[in-house]
Amino acid sequence: MEIFAQLAVSGIALGMIYAVIAFGYQLTFATSRTLNFGQGEALMLGALTGLTIAGHVGYWLMIPAVLLFGALQGFVVERLGVAPAIKTKSEFGWIMSTIALGIIFRNTAENIWGKDDLKFPSPLPESPLKVLGIHVLPMELLVVVGAVAMMLAVELFNRRSIYGKAVVATSNDRDAAGLMGINTGVVITFSYMLSSLTAALGGVLVAPLTLTGASMGAVLGLKAFAVAIIGGLNSGLGVIVGGLILGIAETTTGYYLSTGYKDVPGLILLLVVLAIKPSGLFGKVAIKKV
Amino acid sequence: MSAVGKIVAAALTAGVGLFLPGAGDAAEPIKIGVSGPFTGGSSPMGVSMRDGVKLACAEINAAGGVLGRQIQLVERDDEAKNERGVQITQELINKEHVVADVGFINTGVALASQRFYEEAKIPVINNVATGSKITHQFEPPEFADSYVFRTSAHDTIQSAMIVEEAIGRRKFTKVAILADSTNYGQLGREDLEKALDKRGIKPVAVEKFNIKDVDMTSQLLKAKEAGAQAILTYAIGPELAQIANGMEKLDWKVPMIGSWTLSMANFIDNAGKNGNGARMPQTFIQEGDTAKRKAFIEAYQKAYKVDRISSPVSAAQGYDSMYLLVAAIRQAGTTDGVKVREALENLQQKVDGVVKVYDHPYTHDDHDAIKPGDAVMGEVQNGHVVRVR
Repeated sequence: MEIFAQLAVSGIALGMIYAVIAFGYQLTFATSRTLNFGQGEALMLGALTGLTIAGHVGYWLMIPAVLLFGALQGFVVERLGVAPAIKTKSEFGWIMSTIALGIIFRNTAENIWGKDDLKFPSPLPESPLKVLGIHVLPMELLVVVGAVAMMLAVELFNRRSIYGKAVVATSNDRDAAGLMGINTGVVITFSYMLSSLTAALGGVLVAPLTLTGASMGAVLGLKAFAVAIIGGLNSGLGVIVGGLILGIAETTTGYYLSTGYKDVPGLILLLVVLAIKPSGLFGKVAIKKV
Repeated sequence: MSAVGKIVAAALTAGVGLFLPGAGDAAEPIKIGVSGPFTGGSSPMGVSMRDGVKLACAEINAAGGVLGRQIQLVERDDEAKNERGVQITQELINKEHVVADVGFINTGVALASQRFYEEAKIPVINNVATGSKITHQFEPPEFADSYVFRTSAHDTIQSAMIVEEAIGRRKFTKVAILADSTNYGQLGREDLEKALDKRGIKPVAVEKFNIKDVDMTSQLLKAKEAGAQAILTYAIGPELAQIANGMEKLDWKVPMIGSWTLSMANFIDNAGKNGNGARMPQTFIQEGDTAKRKAFIEAYQKAYKVDRISSPVSAAQGYDSMYLLVAAIRQAGTTDGVKVREALENLQQKVDGVVKVYDHPYTHDDHDAIKPGDAVMGEVQNGHVVRVR
């Protein structure tokens, strides 16, 4: 039982890392029905920028700067990659352009920070806490708390503020929102800024656990995509549950079955969800009228 | 042909006419290829190797070169990719006309590329890649002679040393193997299992993981529950660091003993204090314990303005491979591939290298310069690798 608890705790920490990134996919999908396939790279850029800034001002003071950087990076992605595609009503243009931008960001990062994995100094003690025989790193707790807090903040913003309401309105029906006087183009740009901001914050949260490097985003971005599909692309609860399922499935399969197969159950689940409930476990079924 | 064309053609003919007498001139440099990954995850090894080769080359040229000619290095990046390795190998042979090559960090790249050197009868010295098969790829009866040589400790030597350290010296009876899912990790795991089997020991757990995995909890818990007293590893720097950090997290500290990659800077830096005590076979440790080694380390630090060499083993083996090759060219008196191979297989003069003094390092049937006993155990201590005494 103790072992299962340990695996579950590690799985939760891992799952929350995925959930943070998956949350970013969701934000842009809600408003524009497009995704930033460079989400993993946004996370990587946030982490590496954070690493450089933290060297000068320390971990906590670095966070606002990274948030600003993330928002700026999202703005660039939307303006360069997504807005032209939306304008021309291209179905697939944004896929190619966000992937291309992701590759450009990765190559740029390789030139600035090199290709090696770097150590991100942990703001919290690196020795584990022991609770009821289960070991957990303080940094893992921070990831879980930080991720949940970030999602709550975004939800609160959407529900309480007038700007958030514009975002929700655009998500529900872009054309109707436009007719009501909401500048949906600005809202979409904003959602990309918010999405990259969460990714950048996610980056500095997970970096002390995962090592930091130009290629850190690739695998994480892909796993997070699976989480977003499992949970549903329009459900905040969905990404958390999806992340936890995938994280715990990985650690427990690794232990009870074989470490060679640890990625398999999550992907099988992905296939099952796609076959039975394509909108995700928590997704609302959308009927696309043509 | 237009008037302009005629003038150009005439100029070209004149140019070739002027150039041709120079082609056989003694002043023309000898071209030697240097191939390895200078970008990507294996680049710490590739770049250190290249810098070691360049250092040796500069020294040799300063002393007048070989056969009265200077040496010119032709560096090519194989990016640790097999197909890229094949491409640059053909370029080095057919376009650059190198007389020999030193390099290869990745076993897969070496196995895919070196057949072109074999076919062209051009000697190649592997100075970092460790796969046991590399020097046995071209053997009689199919191939009369092999043009593939090596200055690194192959995996059979390394796995035997790892097992000797764990079972022989430290008397562990239960060990777990953790290896990554690449060719390097899985071939190394096989070698480890064979070496353990010779002592009648079966590992209590054999686990694997992928490159870029960030959580090692399940692998480590399995090893822990199986009662492992030590963990034997075959992987590269970043994932090895995740293992060390994972052990700290689970508050389960057993010794880590593994292949030479535990000396990589990206393991040492990312594991921090958790990497202390990890042990691995090394042909060279950055300690100036002999005059030759001291001079090499100081020259390297001065030339490349670094304090710690990111992969000292690669730098030293690269440096030595250049001196071995030049000694063979000098003995052969020519750059002809067949003659240089024969000279390498029967080197009359001892070569005083950084790793060791090479006294008849190769024979026709043994193309491995590093023998069991030439490597020592190193241990990570506070950011550096020190020799275990």
